[in-house]
Amino acid sequence: MDRRTFIKLTAITGTSATLASCGNPENEFIRFVPEEDIVQGVAVWKPSVCPLCAAGCGLTVRVMDADAEVVREGQLGLVRIAAAKKLEGAPEHPISRGGLCARGQAAIQVTYHPDRITQPLKRSGDRGSGQYEAISWDDAIAEVVSRLDTLESAGNQMALSFVSGGRAGHRATLVDQFLSRFGARGATSYQLFGDDVLRRANALSFSRGQMPTPDLPNSRYVLSFGADFLGTWNSPVAQASGYGHMRQGRPGIRGTFTQVESRMSQTGANADAWVPVAPGTEGVLALGLAHVIMAAGLLPGSSAGRAGAIVDGWDGGLADYTPEQVAQVTGVPAARVERLAREFAETRPAVAIIAGPPLAHTNGLFAAVAVNALNALVGSVEQPGGLYFTPQLNVAGASNAAASAASPSPSIEALASGVLAGESSPEVLLLDGANPVFTTPRAWRVREAFEQIPYIASFGSFLDETSILADLILPDHSFLESWIEGVPESGSLSAVASVAPPTMRPLHETRATEDVLLEIGRGLQRPLDLPWQTFEEMLAATFTALPAPEAEFDGWTDAQEKGVWSGPLPAALVREATPAPVPDAPLAYVPPMFDGDAGQFPLHFLPYPSSAFLDGSLAHLPWLQEMPDPLTSAMWSSWIEINPSTAEALGIRDGDVVEVTSGQGSLRSAAVLSPGIAPNVVAMPVGQGHQTFTRYASGRGENPVDLIAPMSDSTTGALAWAATRVRLSRVGPADGRLVLFAGGLREHPEEHR
Amino acid sequence: MHLRFVGIVTVCLAAFAASVGCQWIQPLAVPGDGSEIVPLPGQQTGVFTTARPTFGAAVNDFLNRRPVAEQPLEFPHDIHVGKEIACEFCHEGVTTGPVAGIPGVRTCMICHEAIATDRERIQQITALRDAGFDIPWQRVYGFANEDHVRFNHAPHIRAEVGCETCHGDVGQQTVAVRSVEHTMSFCVDCHNEREAPVDCLTCHF
Repeated sequence: MDRRTFIKLTAITGTSATLASCGNPENEFIRFVPEEDIVQGVAVWKPSVCPLCAAGCGLTVRVMDADAEVVREGQLGLVRIAAAKKLEGAPEHPISRGGLCARGQAAIQVTYHPDRITQPLKRSGDRGSGQYEAISWDDAIAEVVSRLDTLESAGNQMALSFVSGGRAGHRATLVDQFLSRFGARGATSYQLFGDDVLRRANALSFSRGQMPTPDLPNSRYVLSFGADFLGTWNSPVAQASGYGHMRQGRPGIRGTFTQVESRMSQTGANADAWVPVAPGTEGVLALGLAHVIMAAGLLPGSSAGRAGAIVDGWDGGLADYTPEQVAQVTGVPAARVERLAREFAETRPAVAIIAGPPLAHTNGLFAAVAVNALNALVGSVEQPGGLYFTPQLNVAGASNAAASAASPSPSIEALASGVLAGESSPEVLLLDGANPVFTTPRAWRVREAFEQIPYIASFGSFLDETSILADLILPDHSFLESWIEGVPESGSLSAVASVAPPTMRPLHETRATEDVLLEIGRGLQRPLDLPWQTFEEMLAATFTALPAPEAEFDGWTDAQEKGVWSGPLPAALVREATPAPVPDAPLAYVPPMFDGDAGQFPLHFLPYPSSAFLDGSLAHLPWLQEMPDPLTSAMWSSWIEINPSTAEALGIRDGDVVEVTSGQGSLRSAAVLSPGIAPNVVAMPVGQGHQTFTRYASGRGENPVDLIAPMSDSTTGALAWAATRVRLSRVGPADGRLVLFAGGLREHPEEHR
Repeated sequence: MHLRFVGIVTVCLAAFAASVGCQWIQPLAVPGDGSEIVPLPGQQTGVFTTARPTFGAAVNDFLNRRPVAEQPLEFPHDIHVGKEIACEFCHEGVTTGPVAGIPGVRTCMICHEAIATDRERIQQITALRDAGFDIPWQRVYGFANEDHVRFNHAPHIRAEVGCETCHGDVGQQTVAVRSVEHTMSFCVDCHNEREAPVDCLTCHF
C-alpha cells in the first residue's frame, strides 16, 4: 500500500466512523435510585479477609462509587453503588503485615467475574450438560429442605454427605454443627496439595497436629526440604516477610538458606545453596545430618526427646545413616552431608522445614518425622528462630456451638469407592469449595461416583468440573459481599482470628452460604435448633468472648473495625491438641514406591502447585492466567519442565510438543528446558487443563492430575502425588501452545532457543 | 484497482460495525466433548473490554471532540441560582472531596417534596423517583482519561476560586453548557496568577 492509499483509507475510515457515532448511546441509559447515599470521588478503605488460600491474609479494600448495570423489574439500567475497587494487604494484620501476594491482588476478580453464577439455578438438561434454569431462592431452599426431610423420615440421615475444601474456621464449624445436629457424618474435606501428612507428623513428634509457623525473622539458618514457603505453601505472605527480615532486616546478620529438592521451585531459586536429592529420600538426608551431629558429639541424641524416640535407630545414633550410606541413597555427596550437618548444628538458631513433594511419597510421614527429629535435636521447637505452633482458637467453644462435633467422615476416595461398589451411597451431597473431579486421580473415579449420587447441591459461584454435576446451585456471595472470617492455622506466633463485615452490597441474587444453611436448618420438619439465626450472630458470639485489646471497646466492635483479633488466648478458648498415640514401632525408612516400572517409565513425574492457580481453583481469574510463572515466564498455558541433558537424549528442543505417559494415561504439552530440575525428573504445574471453569480457564492447557497414580502414604493414606513414573517422547516442533513472557531462561541462553 | 476497492469497502464496513458498538461475544465454557454450553440464566454472554464503547467514540476522543451533553430534562440553573441557592447545596461533594458530584433525584426531593409541587416538571421527577428511577444526567465537564489529570475540587474551593471561574456564569444558563474550555493553558495561567504550584505532579499523577 502506498502512502496516498493509506491516507485515503484513513480519511474514509475516520469519516464513516464519525458519521456512525453521532448518536450518543449514554443518553439512552436508565438510572435507578441508589440504595445508599454515596459520596462521589471519595475512597473508603474497609477491612476484609483474603479467601483464596488457607493463609487468611488481612485485606484492606478500597471502596468507591461506581456505576453498576442492573436489571430491576425487567428493566436494564445503571445504578450508583459503592464498589470494591482494589485490594491491598492490611498493615495491622498479624499474618500479612501489609503484604499481599499476586493471587490475593487478583481476588477482586472473583466478585466481578463475567461467568459468576448470579442466581439460584436448577438443572434443566442432562447431568454435566451445564443447562440450568432460574429458580427462586424460596423454591431452591424448599427443594433442599424436602430432600433432607425425606432422609429424616426414612431414618437415613447418614445418607447426607458434605464435601468441602477443608478450611478450618467459623464456616467449617457451622457446617459441622449442621451435619452433627442433622445426624450425618462430618464434612469430607479434600485438597490435592493438603498437608495432612505434616499435621500427623507434628502430632506424633510434638503432640501438635497442625501446620508449623517457622520463626524466619529470628532464624540464622533455614534448611528447607522441598517447602515452597515463598510461593505457595502454608502462609506465603507471612513467610516471605519473615524471610526478608532474616536476609536483610538485621544489620550485620544475613541468614543462610539452603533448599533441598529435585526441582528448583520459586523458593529454591532464592536459596544460597540448592541441593538436588533423589525423590523420596529427603528423610534419609535429614537423618544423615542428625547422624553427623550426634556422631561428632555436637549435640546429644537425647535432646530430641519424643521426636527422636519415634525414629528407628535414634538411640543408637542412627548408625545406618553415615554420610557414605546417605550419599548412596540420596545422591548428595558425603562431604556435603557432613558440611550441611555442621552448618545446621553450629549456626544458632537454625530451622528445618519440610513440605510439598517430600511428603507426597509413599514414605512421606517418615520424611516429616525425620525432619521434626532434626529440629528437636538442635532445640529449634518453640524457640526463637525455630518452629512454632500458632495457638488455635476453639471456634466451636467460643461461638457456643453446643452440640458435639460430627463423627469423622470418609475420605473422598472412600466416598467414591463406596458409591461405586454400591455399599454406602449418599442420597444427597452438598458441595462447597472443592472441585474433586478436577483434583483427584482418575483412578479414584470421583466423577463416575458423583454421577450416581441422586441429588447434588452446590454452593459455588462458578461452574467447575464438579459443580456442573449439581442438580441445584445455591450461589454464595463473593467474599466482599458477605461476612468473611478466618482462623489461620499458622503464620503468626500468637493466636489470630479475622472477621470483617461486607464491604459492598451484593451485585447479584446470591446469598451467603452460612445463612442459607441456617435457613435450611430452621425449615426442616425437625428443626436443627442451631444456636444462631444468622452467621453474623455466630461471629458476634466468638468475638465477644475474646478479650478486647482496649478496655473501652468490646472485642466484637474492635475486631470489626480492625478486621482482626490477635493476642494471648484465654485458656478456656484454646483448642486442645488431640494427643497422638505413640506409634507401636519406631518409624523406619522404607524406600519409596512408585507407580510404573522403572524400565518402561524411566522418569519421575512431579506435579506441583502453580504459583498462579495453586491446585487449579484460581485458574478462572484472568489476571492470574496473565501472570508469568516466576521461573519459566510462561502464561496462559501448560508446560513440562525437563532437564536439558534428558531432553537432548530424547531429541527434544525447547518448546517442542512432547507426550508424557504414565500408567494412568498420557497428555501432550510443550517442553520447557530447565537446568533446575534433576535429569530423572520431569515436572508440570497443576492448575490448567480445565474442561468447564469459566471462559478463561476452559480448554486451556493440560491437567497433570490425569497422570497421577492412586499411590498413597503408607501410614496416613494421604495421596502420594509425587509417586508416579512417566516416559516422555517428542511429538513435534513447537506449535504456539506455549506462551512465554520472556524469551527463555537466563541460565541457558541462545543455544537452546 | 479492484482489490483496492474491496479492501476499502471491507475496512469501511468493519469501522462501521465497530462504531455502532457490535459486541464481542466470547464463547462460554466448552465442555470436553466439544459441545457448547449455553449461557446460564442471568449471566452476561460476552465482555467487550476496550477503552471506548465504540470506534466512533475513540475517533472523537482522538480528535478531542466531546459529544455535547444532552440532558434528560431541561434543568433550570438560572431559577435555582436566582433563588440564591448555593452551588454546594446540591453539588455537595465540592467542599469536601475531589468530585463536586451530579445530584441525584433524592437531592432534588429534599426541597421539591414540598416546593413547587404543582409544576409539571417537578411532578415528572417525583413520579420518576416513586418508580425507583434516578435522573440520568450527563456530565458536562471533566477530563478525558488520557489527559492523566486528577482534578480535586476541594483545594480550589479552599483557595476561594469562584465556581464561575471554571464553569462560567451558570446563573444565566438553564442546563449547564461547556462555556469554559479546560485546556492546560487555562489551568496554568490561573495557577501562575495566583502563585499556585505548576509542578507537573500537581495535576498529572
